Amino acid sequence: MIVIDAGSPTPPYEQLRAQLARQIQDRSLAVGTRLPTIRRLAADLSLAVNTVGRAYRELEEAGLIETRGRAGSFVSAAGEPALEQARRAARDYAAFIASVGIDHTEAIRIVEAALAVTGSPGTDR
Amino acid sequence: MRQADHTEVKQWLTQRGLADVEPTPLLATRLAVRRHAKVADSLLLAAFLIGAALTHALSLPAGGTSWLPLLVLAALVVGLLVAQWLLGGWVRRADQRAGGELPRRVAHPVELGWRAVLGRPHAMFAIATFAGALLLALSVLPIADATLRNGAVVVLIGLAGTGVGIVLQLRQVLASPAVAEDEASLTADVIMRVEDARALVTPSLVWSLPAIFLYGESLGWWNAVSVALVVAGVIALCLVQFKTADVGTTARRAMATR
Repeated sequence: MIVIDAGSPTPPYEQLRAQLARQIQDRSLAVGTRLPTIRRLAADLSLAVNTVGRAYRELEEAGLIETRGRAGSFVSAAGEPALEQARRAARDYAAFIASVGIDHTEAIRIVEAALAVTGSPGTDR
Repeated sequence: MRQADHTEVKQWLTQRGLADVEPTPLLATRLAVRRHAKVADSLLLAAFLIGAALTHALSLPAGGTSWLPLLVLAALVVGLLVAQWLLGGWVRRADQRAGGELPRRVAHPVELGWRAVLGRPHAMFAIATFAGALLLALSVLPIADATLRNGAVVVLIGLAGTGVGIVLQLRQVLASPAVAEDEASLTADVIMRVEDARALVTPSLVWSLPAIFLYGESLGWWNAVSVALVVAGVIALCLVQFKTADVGTTARRAMATR
């Protein structure tokens, strides 16, 4: 389910992008799932077509969805390599933290701060 | 929200497995629009049947040689289809207006196609009903009775118009925006979509047309077949409804994204 809250300080395109990205990452939306067309989703959520288009474009740039011409937009298999890359980066980060002697709580706080700055899926900026 | 509306919405929700959902003005508005549309649709069909039967009966003494009754009947069919189309459009517009007032909008992340909303058994049933009526009308055309031939032409016009009308309205039902503010109202939205789609393919005009119009100077096999088509159709519809999941389950299945 996608929820767009008009009263939220997060822009609607970001609310949409973050929710779709989270559902793709946690497999609620399986690889190959066909997403609604931009026009359809814009009508459903009472958003401008450009707003949904921007969210889709960002998801496409992140490799989470792919557009196959007139057939529509689909959840991309690229989402899985992206997760694997994230795991590899986390292992490298964990190794670095161990090498410089930073404790786990501090290491997690650094990651959370970094995610808050870059805006991870599902997190308001 | 009035107490009567609250009770009605609660009953609707309970019957569809959403007993724990609290009735909202949004649901009350949408259900009221559908209720009025259903009454108007029944009245339209009744008026059409009376008008068609009168035109047909009054034209019989002329021996079926005049084109005027045929034109009037065709106009009645077209008028009914246009009125039904406008009625469908009125329901969608009322939904959109109700949705436009929501501060929070919710949608399903997956496109719901006809398979998920209507289901294959209902689609097959609709096609079979149409094919049966169409074949009957076509097989009556070579018969020498001019009144019967005129009737068959009207049935064919009616079936073509109804077929196009159903496809267009079904498209509208599937493509109309979701009107929901939370998970419960999104489920209710899909349930309404399933009910609207099933109501569209449940034949009324398709059963009525052959029974009214395939009536010549004498009774023939076509009269027996047109009655048999209705009886077989009713049995098939009961079986389809008995065998397929209820609207609540269908809607929840359609909403399952995996």
